[in-house]
Amino acid sequence: MIKLRSKRQRESYLSNFLGLPTRIILLFILLVIVLFPFYWMVTNAFKLEQEYYVKPPVMVPSKPTIQNFVDIVQKYELVKGLINSILIASGATVVTVLFGSLTAYSLINGVLPKRIKGFFAGWFLVQKMYPAIVVAVPVFYIIRTLRLMDSILALVIMNASFNLPLVILLMIGFYQEAPFEVEEQAMLDGCTLPQRYFYVTTPMVKSGLIATGMLTFVFSWNEFLYAVILTVYKSKPLTVMIAGFITDKALIWGPMAAMSCVVVFPVLLVMWLMQRDFISGISAGALKG
Amino acid sequence: MLITRSIYQTKADKVYSWLFMLPVILILLIAAFIPLGYGLVLSFHRFKLNIAGSRPVFVGLNNYIGMFKDEIFLKSLSNNIFFALLSVAVELVIGVIVAMMLSDDNKISRLMITVLMVPMIIAPVAAGTLWRMMLDRTYGVINYIITLVGLQPVSWIGDYRIAIYTIIMVDCWQFIPFIAILVLSSIKSIPKSFLDAARVDGASPWKVFIMVVLPITAPVIIIVAMIRFIDAFKVFDIIFVMTQGGPGNATEMLPTYIYRQGIKFLDVGYSSATAILFIVAMSLIAWGFMRLRSYQLRRLG
Repeated sequence: MIKLRSKRQRESYLSNFLGLPTRIILLFILLVIVLFPFYWMVTNAFKLEQEYYVKPPVMVPSKPTIQNFVDIVQKYELVKGLINSILIASGATVVTVLFGSLTAYSLINGVLPKRIKGFFAGWFLVQKMYPAIVVAVPVFYIIRTLRLMDSILALVIMNASFNLPLVILLMIGFYQEAPFEVEEQAMLDGCTLPQRYFYVTTPMVKSGLIATGMLTFVFSWNEFLYAVILTVYKSKPLTVMIAGFITDKALIWGPMAAMSCVVVFPVLLVMWLMQRDFISGISAGALKG
Repeated sequence: MLITRSIYQTKADKVYSWLFMLPVILILLIAAFIPLGYGLVLSFHRFKLNIAGSRPVFVGLNNYIGMFKDEIFLKSLSNNIFFALLSVAVELVIGVIVAMMLSDDNKISRLMITVLMVPMIIAPVAAGTLWRMMLDRTYGVINYIITLVGLQPVSWIGDYRIAIYTIIMVDCWQFIPFIAILVLSSIKSIPKSFLDAARVDGASPWKVFIMVVLPITAPVIIIVAMIRFIDAFKVFDIIFVMTQGGPGNATEMLPTYIYRQGIKFLDVGYSSATAILFIVAMSLIAWGFMRLRSYQLRRLG
């Protein structure tokens, strides 16, 4: 009797608490809850000014307009924020991936005392535990004293420091998986450590580097706390700019929705490009600690 | 885990190994260790940057003692604990249910997993603004839907009794997928033979869940709970864009309070003390979770 059951039934055995129709309805509700805010964001971005203030709310813009996007470029310095966000996120990504991979490589293939490796494992845990806010005030004071306030460099360093633990952890995994025979051969041929890093091993883990790089990019792109603390005017990234559309009195609906689109869209694109790596990256970061 | 694989250890390689580590060590020093140490020192001083030319004055434990007489601090502490407990509990329960619903390996599940990743990777600030628009008292779409059902419109952000639940709701929206995806990957690692065995014995789905799925996924659930619980004490972005800690101090939490004291009022000494106490508390919580996890792992064998 058991043999007669199809494969599909076996697979659904875990979740057949409820009948299939109920489950499909529940999943549909879940889908709506997850996606509706995005639908609302996109339609809001294309609405006319007066359509924000009517009841019932306008579900589909009658005449989609790109006026809001024109406004954020002309009135709200979108281009400046976009450049800042790109510079901060890509700067942090380059720094994190380059230095992180150097460290991971050195930990796996270099000549170091054992204790320092334990230190990195421990540091990863500590960094995960303490909230970024706890160093905010000293960092703010130090950056102010160094006259680095409102600079891209300060944010690049801070974002790099937040992402390095995860990147090093993931890269240790990649370097460990790389075939050791090649490394060994290069060693016998007399390659020094930097030569082996640049020409032998790192090219083998390139896909891993790209995946962690994208992860770092997304996290730095989304970062808000230090961006709001360490910027005043000229290096404000987009995340800080959208927060500015909410004032005590009212919302600046159109530009806010349009800029939210600009903040969200690149992240979705990155996610689309690296779906699988993203899940494994996030779960590795969460579970290995 | 970390095994050095070098067979020939030359002196040059040793130097290079350290050179490779140097940039990371520098970044760490600048961005983590020096500020942390400096924060510890400042926490014993009275130091207000808004007074021109002010210097740190040693005051011993005054900042720490002051904290427990500070009503707003205590309020933000209790708010934060309430927020962490409730949001993590709701997220865990719904997250595990969602994971179970998606545990079949078919097209719909795979599509849903992709969709679920969307909220957890967008900027929390963007999540805050999205929900701020939808929850607007007068023009928000949520209140419109509520009135369709025949209920009174709710002041989601303006009412001090409701605001904290609004924040919890947005947090749930963003992080239930995170929990669901991690728990799901753990459910999928359950050997098929376990499930087959349970089925041959005629166990009901509910029994399979309690006797097989839950014990095996428990270590992952505990870790995820720990991560979310600790993250709940880092909540800042959503509150910053949605309520700014208000109305009154109804949604003031530790990070927003430290921000307000340190960055807005420039009371560096006091906010450093708050931060140090915060680290100690976090370490204790993490330690507790670790104990729980190692107990679970030992029980599983």
